[in-house]
Amino acid sequence: MTIPPALSLPTMPTAPAPTSTRFLAACGGAFLLLFLACLAVAEAPLESVMGLVQKIFYFHVPCAWLLMLSTFVCAGGSIAYLFRGSERGDRIALSAAELGVLFGMCVLVSGPLWAKAAWGVYWQWEARLTSSLLLWLMLVAYVLARRYGGPSARQLAAALALFAAVDIPLVYFSVRFFRSIHPQTTVVSTLGPGMRSAFWLSLLSFTVLWFVLMSLRLAVENAQARIVELEVLLDQAEEKKS
Amino acid sequence: MTGSFWRYTLLIAGKDLRIEGKSREVLYTMGFSAALVVLVFSFALSNATDPAQGPITAAGVLWAATLFTGTVALARVLDRERENEAIRALLLSPAPRAAIYAGKLLAVSLLMLAVEVVLVVLVGLLFSAEVFAHPGWLALVLLLGTLGFAATGVVFSAALLRSRSREALLGALLFPIAIPVLLAASRATACMFDPLAPDLEPVAFWVRFLLATDVIYILLGLWVFEPVVSGE
Amino acid sequence: MTMVALAYGFIWLAVFGYVFTVGRRLGRLNDELDDLRRRMDRVKT
Repeated sequence: MTIPPALSLPTMPTAPAPTSTRFLAACGGAFLLLFLACLAVAEAPLESVMGLVQKIFYFHVPCAWLLMLSTFVCAGGSIAYLFRGSERGDRIALSAAELGVLFGMCVLVSGPLWAKAAWGVYWQWEARLTSSLLLWLMLVAYVLARRYGGPSARQLAAALALFAAVDIPLVYFSVRFFRSIHPQTTVVSTLGPGMRSAFWLSLLSFTVLWFVLMSLRLAVENAQARIVELEVLLDQAEEKKS
Repeated sequence: MTGSFWRYTLLIAGKDLRIEGKSREVLYTMGFSAALVVLVFSFALSNATDPAQGPITAAGVLWAATLFTGTVALARVLDRERENEAIRALLLSPAPRAAIYAGKLLAVSLLMLAVEVVLVVLVGLLFSAEVFAHPGWLALVLLLGTLGFAATGVVFSAALLRSRSREALLGALLFPIAIPVLLAASRATACMFDPLAPDLEPVAFWVRFLLATDVIYILLGLWVFEPVVSGE
Repeated sequence: MTMVALAYGFIWLAVFGYVFTVGRRLGRLNDELDDLRRRMDRVKT
């Protein structure tokens, strides 16, 4: 028996894209770059005041930058989803939020370890620390709402992402009004030449890593959507046949 | 257009307040839980007698209690629309979505403000704070803080109408977002309660900050409320 | 210094852990795809 044209089955995707060799090469490249960054960090001269512990900085700052990037990508995807009904925007937002949780965790662990050595305490209620903690909490809430809120929590999560993105500058300024002991962003321009190249290399490799992880995570989301779609079509085809 | 927007806003807020006027359910439960929160804090902090920390403690307790009881008001005022699928009727009515948002915001804020009057008196009694030292400023900070909190709260509790595990999620979503409002409002209040404060300069700063935050939150709320409630 | 080792170790572990869980999810999806492919063959014949 032939299948009626209305139910002609779509072509089967061979496998989720990430297992392709091109993808594996990108993944390997990102980790190689990260490894090189580690070597460069090891080579970089010791900072005269803080010594070895200053080296946390080379990984801490890129992670913080990725936390910000993830939040803004998440908010952008949420806007596309809320106002244009873009499913793709929604998937991008979810993937970015997960990466934000991952890199936010790295920031929040590496920061206090440095602070213990430099300030003598693990935690200070200070502008940057507080705003990154809150940003991270909001992203965790986003992922929780997506995972446990059922299908209708998607709009809710998207609204949360938008509020999170506007909240960050607000928290930052509100806490900054008391005190700020966190090193300013201007320290980057005062780094010695050996330190500077290590810093930029690690920033670059973390950014590449972010894009690779993002496409990996996005491919999972896309494959999932495709599978659900195929299942519906197959169910219809089987019903028709029996 | 703008005329009908305000008309619908007042209509929706009036409807909610009339229901409340008949049953007084939200006011009584909110007022009672507000009193309990203040009592719990006053027992938990009863040994903290350092007078220098007094105003900060009183302001912190006032705002923490406001936030906790605010979620009760949010959950109830929006939950009423879930019974008998009233939300569907509301969405089908000619009222613009933004006016529904504004109406709910107005109703929730007024309920919260009513409870805050009780809260201020209780905090003044139990923490012996000079709550009425600057009544005008206090009213302004209460108003702005409440508006800022309710502006985000209405969006989230409206979105949660169609979702599972609502009560657990509302707090988890709302409190991180509300932190700047909480911080600004409690700092301003602490400065007002402090008889030793040299001047009200910080209060003026925080009031400006709250004003900016409220404008941003309300605009964002008006903007996202429509897609959030009308989604599938 | 132990702090530096801890920080770097944690970041590496977190990133690899994440890649690992995403890889597992992908593996599950591949299984589901195989399943679908078998069903499709059955429908087509």
